[in-house]
Amino acid sequence: MASLIGFYSLFSGLLCSIFVIYFSIINFRNSKILDKKILIFTFFQFFFVIISFFALIISFVISDFSNETVFNHSHTTKPLFYKISGVWGNHEGSLLLWLVVLTLFIYLFLIKSKEQKKNYKILTLLFQEIIIIGFFIFLIKTSNPFNYIFPIPTEGLGLNPILQDPALAIHPPVLYLGYVGSSIIFSSALAGATLNYISKDWARHIKKWVIISWIFLTLGILLGSIWAYYELGWGGFWFWDPVENVSLMPWLCLTTLLHCILVLEKKNILTSWVVVLSITTFMLSMCGTFLVRSGILNSVHTFANDPERGLFILIFLFILIFLSLFIFFFIFKNSNKNPTNLFWLSKETSILINNWFMMYFLAVVLIGTIYPIFLEVITSEKISVGPPFFQKLIIPFLIPFLIFMAIGSQLKWVKSDLKNKLYLVLFFIISLILTLLIIKNLKINFLTNTVLLTAAFFLFFITVRDFFKKEFKNLSQNIAHFGFSLLILSILFNNIFSTEIISNLKIGETINSNKIQINFESINQKEKQNYKAIIGKFNIKDQYGKNQILNPELRIYNQPNIVTSEADIKTNLFTDKFITMNLVQNQDYFNIRYQIKPFMIWIWVSVIIICFGGTLSLFKRNYEN
Amino acid sequence: MKIKFYPAFLILIFFIIFLIFYKGLQNPNTYTPSVEIKKNIPEFKVKKFKNEKILNSKDIFLDNKFYLFNIWASWCVPCREEHKYLMKFKKDKNIEIIGLNYKDSDENANEFLNELKNPYDIILSDLDGTIAIEWGAYGVPETFLIHDKKIIKKIIGPINEYSFIEIEEIIK
Amino acid sequence: MYGRKVKLRFFFIFLILIILSLSVFLILKSLEENVVYFKSPTEIQTLTEINKNKIRIGGMVKENSILIDEKKLKFIVTDFKNDINVTYTGAIPNLFTEGKGVVAEGYLKDKKFFLATKILAKHDENYMPPEVKSALEEK
Repeated sequence: MASLIGFYSLFSGLLCSIFVIYFSIINFRNSKILDKKILIFTFFQFFFVIISFFALIISFVISDFSNETVFNHSHTTKPLFYKISGVWGNHEGSLLLWLVVLTLFIYLFLIKSKEQKKNYKILTLLFQEIIIIGFFIFLIKTSNPFNYIFPIPTEGLGLNPILQDPALAIHPPVLYLGYVGSSIIFSSALAGATLNYISKDWARHIKKWVIISWIFLTLGILLGSIWAYYELGWGGFWFWDPVENVSLMPWLCLTTLLHCILVLEKKNILTSWVVVLSITTFMLSMCGTFLVRSGILNSVHTFANDPERGLFILIFLFILIFLSLFIFFFIFKNSNKNPTNLFWLSKETSILINNWFMMYFLAVVLIGTIYPIFLEVITSEKISVGPPFFQKLIIPFLIPFLIFMAIGSQLKWVKSDLKNKLYLVLFFIISLILTLLIIKNLKINFLTNTVLLTAAFFLFFITVRDFFKKEFKNLSQNIAHFGFSLLILSILFNNIFSTEIISNLKIGETINSNKIQINFESINQKEKQNYKAIIGKFNIKDQYGKNQILNPELRIYNQPNIVTSEADIKTNLFTDKFITMNLVQNQDYFNIRYQIKPFMIWIWVSVIIICFGGTLSLFKRNYEN
Repeated sequence: MKIKFYPAFLILIFFIIFLIFYKGLQNPNTYTPSVEIKKNIPEFKVKKFKNEKILNSKDIFLDNKFYLFNIWASWCVPCREEHKYLMKFKKDKNIEIIGLNYKDSDENANEFLNELKNPYDIILSDLDGTIAIEWGAYGVPETFLIHDKKIIKKIIGPINEYSFIEIEEIIK
Repeated sequence: MYGRKVKLRFFFIFLILIILSLSVFLILKSLEENVVYFKSPTEIQTLTEINKNKIRIGGMVKENSILIDEKKLKFIVTDFKNDINVTYTGAIPNLFTEGKGVVAEGYLKDKKFFLATKILAKHDENYMPPEVKSALEEK
C-alpha cells in the first residue's frame, strides 16, 4: 500500500515539475513579477517527493517485503534505526533522497531570494528543473524504489552489516546536502551567466548557499572518514580510495569557490573564474555519483551496480557539461568593467595564488582517480594508483599553501604594505625552532616533514594571535583557518608518532614488542538480535607499566552471513588505542592489530572547528560597502 | 578564430572523456562468481518437499548420470522465466532435475507448481537457506550441472536460450 | 613596440605556461613511479625479468594452503593454472578465506615466491576484485 502511494506520488512530482517548467517559460516572457503558481507547484513537487520518501521509509519500517528494495536490503531482525537508515543505504533509496534534497533546495531558494530579479530566479529554477527531471526519469526508469514482487517473500535479504553503523547511517544524507547544494550554485551561476548578472550583488546573494553546501560537504566527508576509521579496522582515516577521492574533489573545488566569491563580492573581479568553478563543483559531484554508482571504479567500497544506470548518468552528465560549455562560451559575456588589476601584495593575490594550489591538488586527485579507468580502456592494462602518489604530489605543495594562507589573512584588500609585518618573520622563526625541537627528539628526520611542520605551526600561531588581537572582524575566517592548521598539525603528529603491532596470537599467549605487552586472555560469546559476537579480552601493558583491558569483537551476522570485526578504541585527549582481531580460517590463531594513534580525536575536532567557522560566517552581517 | 578555438577544443576533450567512460562501462566490474570447475558437490542431509522424509545427498546423486540442481522459490520472478527451459529438460531422459525450494512456504510453492506444472524429478526443501549456502549459491535462481558427483557448470540467474543450448551440448 | 602592460601580460602568460607544464610533468612522472600493476600467477610465470617494483597479484586462495604462526602468514594464490607462494606479515581481513578471491600487494622475490605487504579486503563477501575475475576467466 505504502509502495503504491510512493510510486504515484513520484509520478505526481514529475508532473509538477513539468507544470513548473511550463509556467516558468510563460512567466519569463510576460509579466514583471514572479507567478504565484510557480511557487505553489515547486512546493507540491517537493511535497510529492517527500511523501514518496516517507512511503519508502514506512515500507522499510514495517518490513513490507512486497517491495523489491525492502526485500533486497532489509530484514525483520534488523534494529529499527538501521531499517530507517537502510532507506538511503541502497541505490534506489539514495537517489530518492537526492531528489528530496534537490526539490527542497530549489523551493527554499525561491522563497529565500525574494529581493532578486524575477528573470534570474526563473532561469535558475529552469536549470534546476532540468536536473530534477533528469533525476526523476533516472529514478523511475532504471531504479524504481517501489518495484513489486509477487508472491511476497517472508524474509528479506538483509543489509551489509558493515553498513550498519551510526556514522554511516547519517553520512549519505549529509553528503548529499552538500552535493545537491552545489546544484543550486550551478543553476544560479548559469542563470547569472545568461543574464550577465555575475556581480557583487550576485556574490552576496549566492554566498550563503556556497557556505551551506560547503559545511555539509565537509561534515559529510568527516562522517565517512570517522566510519572508515573505526569500522574498516585499518586504523586509518583516509585511504586515497577512489570513492573517497570522489567526495574530496567537489570539496576542493567548493572551497576554492568560497574564497573566490569573497573576492568577487569585494572587488568585482574573477567573474568568469567564479562561473567556471560553480559549474565544475556540481559536475564533479555528478561525476562522483556516476563513478560510484556505475561500478566503473575499482574500490574497496563496493556498490551494487548496473551498467545501464551508469550509462544514464553518463549521458545526463555530459548533456549538462555541454549545456554549460555552450552558455559559458556563447552567451556569457564578461561584462567586467574593472580591469583585473592586482597588486602583488594584497589579500586577493594570496587568495588567487592559493586558488591555483587548490586547482593543482584537484588535478592530482582527479588524475589519480580516473587514470586507471583510462589506461584500462586504452591498453587494457590493469593498475591501481596508491597513496604514495597522492602524498608525494600533495604534501610538498602544502608548505607554500599554508604559508600563503597565514600571510594572506594578515594583508589588506586591494593594496597592502610591509609595514608592521615584522612579527610574521618572528613567528616563523619561533615555529621553526619549535619544529626542530620536536624533530630532534625523534629518529626520523625528513626535510619535508620539518618544513611542513614549521608551516603548519606558523599558520597556527598567526591565527591564535589574531584571536587576541583583532576586534572579531574576521572571526569566522580566523576560526576556519585555525581549524585547518590544527587539522594539518594533528595529521602530521598522527603520522609521525603512530606505532603499530601486528601479530598472530592464540588464546592465552602474550607478545612483547617495543616495551608494550599484549596478553590475549580469553574470548567469550554473546548472542545479539541479528548477530553473534565473539568478544576477545586483551590485557595491554603500555610502556609506562599501566594496564588496560581492551575488548575487540568479531561479529557473525546471520543475514547476510558475514563476519565483521569491530575495533575496540580507547580514546583520550592525546592518543587513541586501537585494537582489532580477525579470525583466520581453520586456525587457532587470531590476527591481532594494535595501534597507538596520537591526536586522533583532534583530527575530528579540527574539522568540526572548520565547519563552525563556516557556520559563524552565515550569521555575520553583510558587508555594507 | 581565437574565440572559436577554445570551445571546440574543450568539446573535443570532453567528447573523448565521454567515449572513454562509455567504453569503461562496457566492461563493468560486476562480479559473477567464477565457476569452481570440477568441484565435488557438498554432502548434506535434506528434507523432502511436502514430506518429512530426510534424504542423504549420497543417495540422490549417483555416478555416471547428469543432474540439474536448480534452486528456486515461488516468490522469485526470474524463476518463472526459466521454467520453460526446465520443462524442456524434463523431456530429456539423459538428465534428472532436482529442485531445491529455497526459503519458501509449502503452500506457495505448491501453488507455483500447480500453476506452471512441475518440472522436477525430486524436490528438496531448504527452509532456512543453509543448503544453498553450502552449495555456495549467490541467489535465486541458480542452477548447477552435475556429473559424477562433480559440479561441471554453474549458472547464476535464470537459464536462458544460450545456457540451455550449452547444457544440451554437454549432456549429449 | 609593446607597452609595459602588454609586456607584463606576456610575462604572466609565459609564467603560467611554465608552471602548468611543470606540474603536468610532475604528475605524470610520479604516476609512472607509483602505479601498481596487477598480475595473475600465470602472467608472472611468463615474465622475463623480476621487477623491483611493487605489484599486485590476484587469484584464489588455494584450499588447505593457509599456514600461520606468530609472525607470518603463508598461503598459495592460484589461478588454477599456476600457483604462487605468498608470505605476509600484517593485518588479515575477515574476508580472507580459502577458496575465495584475494588480492595481495607487495614484491616479487622470484617467480614462485611473493612477499606481500598488504592484503586487500572488500566490504562485500560476494564481490571479487575485477582483476581476479578476469584473471580467472583468462585461464
